[in-house]
Amino acid sequence: MTTKQLIQNPFAFIGVLLIHTCRDARAFLTLVVQTLFQLVTHLPRKKETIQQLYFVANGSLWTIIFCVCFAAVVTMLESSFHMKLVIQNDSMVPGFASLLILRELGAIVTALLLTSRIGAGMAAEIGSMKVTEQIDALKMLGINPIRFLIVPRLIASTIGCVLLSIIANLVCIFAAMIVADQFLGYSNGMFLTAMRRFVDFQDIIFASIKAFCFGFVIPLVSCYFGFNCRTGADGVGRATTQSVVFASVAIIVLDFVLSYTFSYFY
Amino acid sequence: MIKYKNLVKSFGTRTVLKGIDLHIKAGEIVFILGTSGTGKSVLLKNTVGLLRPDSGEIWIDGENVSGYSEEQFLSIRKKCGMVFQHPALFDSLTIYENIAYGLRKHFSMAENEIERRVEQALSLVNLDNILSKRPGEISYGMQKRVSLARTVVLQPKVLLFDEPTTGLDPVTTNSINTLIQSLSRKLNTTSMVVSHDMQCALKIADHIVVLDQGQVVDQGTPKQLLESEVPLVRDFLEEARNQ
Repeated sequence: MTTKQLIQNPFAFIGVLLIHTCRDARAFLTLVVQTLFQLVTHLPRKKETIQQLYFVANGSLWTIIFCVCFAAVVTMLESSFHMKLVIQNDSMVPGFASLLILRELGAIVTALLLTSRIGAGMAAEIGSMKVTEQIDALKMLGINPIRFLIVPRLIASTIGCVLLSIIANLVCIFAAMIVADQFLGYSNGMFLTAMRRFVDFQDIIFASIKAFCFGFVIPLVSCYFGFNCRTGADGVGRATTQSVVFASVAIIVLDFVLSYTFSYFY
Repeated sequence: MIKYKNLVKSFGTRTVLKGIDLHIKAGEIVFILGTSGTGKSVLLKNTVGLLRPDSGEIWIDGENVSGYSEEQFLSIRKKCGMVFQHPALFDSLTIYENIAYGLRKHFSMAENEIERRVEQALSLVNLDNILSKRPGEISYGMQKRVSLARTVVLQPKVLLFDEPTTGLDPVTTNSINTLIQSLSRKLNTTSMVVSHDMQCALKIADHIVVLDQGQVVDQGTPKQLLESEVPLVRDFLEEARNQ
């Protein structure tokens, strides 16, 4: 159907949209299943996986530390300001802030920053490989492109995201502690006592599970868009943008689903 | 060697190949000519399973490969080497690793034997002293030659060339075309070359096939094509004369 016909007929428009969505979802799920199959049945390429892990973890470390520090400062100052405004008391801020940092902020800020950095990079790299026929060349050499390209990135991203989110949580808590001490008048001891009252060990486990899931989703979405990239520089650009948007949305939705699921364990 | 029977391939509503019937004999150098978008590259990619036909049959060495799975195509891809329009070298690997990759994958060879085969393949394409370089450190023309070396090192029975001279200067174009001819004769392979270059086709092809809008409009030996009355073939010949 032409675009004009689709605009004139809303039912046809919805139908076409539905068909395309189902087709894309099926293609994505096929890629996920194939990737999991390759992950389980073959040993990963060690050198490539280590290189990717270095790219993911080391390359993103300082950006993440820088951003989570500011996120911690804003969280502390804003919560204190509003609590003082409403209940004229900010004594709960260190506890609440620690909880927020461990349950949400550390993992989600890390994942979103990784999406914009490594997710975009993966989509652009694989998209360029598709456009320049390198993926076809891999197939001609009898190499499975999923095993060759996605599996090392998936392992590196998952491990990297968990490690980075643990570091991000530690740095974020440390930054929050400094803000509490310098601006809100709560000593480090008071901060840690409040934190112990609010935070459980399972919060740290749940945060790591979230980071694991986010790290798993980023390369799958990015590689999917890279593999389905259209020809030309325009195609690579579009694939990169779509991968960042869809991975970010997927992380936010997944965060909700996981938080909702974890709420049954409290 | 390769037979296409009523091969049809569409992308969405656009039918690119409209019932191709073609027979490529063993040891021949066949040029597939045609204007852009007539389905020349699609024909090559269907041959090795990088694209799948909607209907029709492809026979390679007596095997009907049209319904083959990805796994079944592995043996066909061992037989058929393909040189792409782009050099398609892996940027993260050195030239040596690029050429040796297929050897490591398909044969259990000692490293010194791999080294010997890689050097031999590079000398076939008139290159040396670039083994430790990465693709980004050599010229585009050299990358094309390395791509050719990566394909011939596996000693395929069939060589498929998808516009091997696109984006190259006339001198390099000429040397690549000469290379195609000498390699095909030296290695005794069947070669299919997708090209726009009638002049070169007349010089080195055993058989020329002209495609237009997904159909074979004319085919024959270079001598026969010179006598063709098909307007598109006349246009190509005219263009070749003006070069």
